[in-house]
Amino acid sequence: MSVLHKEDGSDRKIVLVGCPNVGKSVVFNSLTGAYTTVSNYPGTSVEVSRGHCQIAGERYQVLDTPGMYSLLPITEEERVGRRILFEEDPFVVLHVVDARNLERMLPMTIQLIEAGLPVMLLINIIDEAERIGMHIDIALLDEKLGIPVVGAAIGRKRGLGELRQAIASYQPRPATFAYAADLEKDIQRIAGLMRGRYRLAARSLALLLMQRDEELQELMRAGEGENAAAVAETVNAVVFERRVDLHLRISLERKRICKGLLAGVISQRAGGGPAFAERLSALTMNPWTGIPLLLAVLYFGLYKFVGGFGAGTVVDLLEGAIFEENLNPWAIAWFERHVPWYWLRELVVGEYGLFTLGVRYAVAIVLPIVGTFFIAFAMIEDSGYFPRLAMLVDRVFKRLGLNGRAVIPMVLGFGCDTMATVVTRTLETVRERILATLLLALVIPCSAQMGVILALLSGVPGALAVWVVTLTGIFLLVGLLAARIVPGERPMFYMEIPPMRLPQPRNVLVKTLTRMQWYFLEIFPLFMIASVLLWAGKLSGALDWLVGALQPVMGLLGLPHETAAAFIFGFFRRDFGAAGLYDLQTNGLLDPVQLTVAAVTLTLFVPCVAQFLIMKKERGWRVALIIFALVTTLAFGAGWALNRLLLVTGMPG
Amino acid sequence: MKCSFCEHELTAEMLRDEGCGACAGGCRKIHCPYCGQENSVVPGIFDRLFKSDRPDEGKGSKS
Repeated sequence: MSVLHKEDGSDRKIVLVGCPNVGKSVVFNSLTGAYTTVSNYPGTSVEVSRGHCQIAGERYQVLDTPGMYSLLPITEEERVGRRILFEEDPFVVLHVVDARNLERMLPMTIQLIEAGLPVMLLINIIDEAERIGMHIDIALLDEKLGIPVVGAAIGRKRGLGELRQAIASYQPRPATFAYAADLEKDIQRIAGLMRGRYRLAARSLALLLMQRDEELQELMRAGEGENAAAVAETVNAVVFERRVDLHLRISLERKRICKGLLAGVISQRAGGGPAFAERLSALTMNPWTGIPLLLAVLYFGLYKFVGGFGAGTVVDLLEGAIFEENLNPWAIAWFERHVPWYWLRELVVGEYGLFTLGVRYAVAIVLPIVGTFFIAFAMIEDSGYFPRLAMLVDRVFKRLGLNGRAVIPMVLGFGCDTMATVVTRTLETVRERILATLLLALVIPCSAQMGVILALLSGVPGALAVWVVTLTGIFLLVGLLAARIVPGERPMFYMEIPPMRLPQPRNVLVKTLTRMQWYFLEIFPLFMIASVLLWAGKLSGALDWLVGALQPVMGLLGLPHETAAAFIFGFFRRDFGAAGLYDLQTNGLLDPVQLTVAAVTLTLFVPCVAQFLIMKKERGWRVALIIFALVTTLAFGAGWALNRLLLVTGMPG
Repeated sequence: MKCSFCEHELTAEMLRDEGCGACAGGCRKIHCPYCGQENSVVPGIFDRLFKSDRPDEGKGSKS
């Protein structure tokens, strides 16, 4: 990005900016007609469209930029969009926003104005906003913002004339929006030091430098020369003083400014659509109503649908009626008639056979559970509930050394802990990543493991309650202790909440099918490999030795020695272990206390091989081994204590 | 395609990015650069079978 703007003396330029899907391309096509060119922006692979138009006898060049959400770029497209704004010397920067999401998009208008750009606001898709009962007072917003504002539905040719007229008569009107006094003081400390000439206003540059914008740090060094060190020193001092909440403060200040600007501008017709969605959205984030709603989501989504329907009805049908009663006996009989080799019969249809164990576990037990979980997950995801959950649990997570951002890996952990462990890398600090990795390895069961356990425990009164209370208690206790022991910073969490909406059947279907495909391609082969290893272990005697070695531990937990096999299965994959537990229970080998203890211990027990390897990859050998040892000790320690407690209290009955 | 957590648009450029190498059998997921959510990339066959009528459900870097 250059320090000074270019003066090439060509046509006046209209630059279209805005988030994706606000109709920028429709505006571009409406202004320019058919004759446009699309080319990569110099030095990048990002495409930019250019066209021309005549307005009131004046020729303009129109540029359609890639979607951008903020002047602080995160993606290559946003970087290119910003370069265009500052290098193309626009006559008008037309910020296109979606009328339905005006509150979310207005902070960028503020950023563009405070950068000193010649901004005009186009509130597009206004017909849709009106359809859902919104009324926007364009004239009032124009007056409050201090820039021209046009309301339009360009796709329906509404407002195009007003837009062209507003461009023809455009006169830049400088406007300033004041932040809180303390923040304003820091902005002035930095802006006041700068001596260079820049295409963007000094206060905007100061704000972006405070947010560690590397590209602008280079720009500042080039523009300031000898003064650069002093500016950088002041920026560093401000960033250090505000290290806990700088981004949050700036975002909240912009939100406050926008709220003030929109006061009296947007009104909602009584009974309109979004009012209910907004009310529900607020209820999901308020602790008093949000927690009961969360429990309702868990009860109906996980317990009834995944645990009851998936792990109960569908598994009974597939595993019981199809595999156990028909397919397995037929396959075993066929192999016994036609295959003389014992080792091959064992490999395919034996106790740990590829078909009788691997395919049966993968297709008849785990698939219905993950399938129903994926459906429930996609519906919750598509409704926009998860960001609200992040805001709801933020306060609790802060006590565990995390924040609302950690909801992403934690929720993903209920799908697959291995995948979620990879996602912990998106957390801001090393401390958060270690804490989240530990909690995922210890307490968060994957979907299939949880589904099987929910189905098994729901048949024993009190067992499910003991399992939930024990795991929640351990989650909070270990989180609280780990947050005190592991050193590091505690960053704030802030995110824009997207609108809440009814899940779209098409989205739910596509997301579910995509995840099912992932399951078959990545998880199914692991079940086959686990079967082969168990088969080899059985034939070589290694498995018997391992089961024998685990027997004293099983004895301490009060479990029958056969349970050791489920723990060994669990190390291959968590859901494989849960399926082993399912087999033990259906064969009547566990009483209620033993079932509860086995379920708790198996949930807490070591992460599977894949999760351990990812832990090692993400956190290194030292942290991975410490977590492994800690989790193993805690799992068996908690299992032993729970067994003693349940025997004394006589629960569950 | 939109991020399933924060609903920021995931662009065609991001979809072409190489994966992190953690997944056996190649990458079929994309990390949202705004929030970190891991989104499954919709296979072409599902995309064609269940094509959306709504313009904001499609892929692409342009608005």
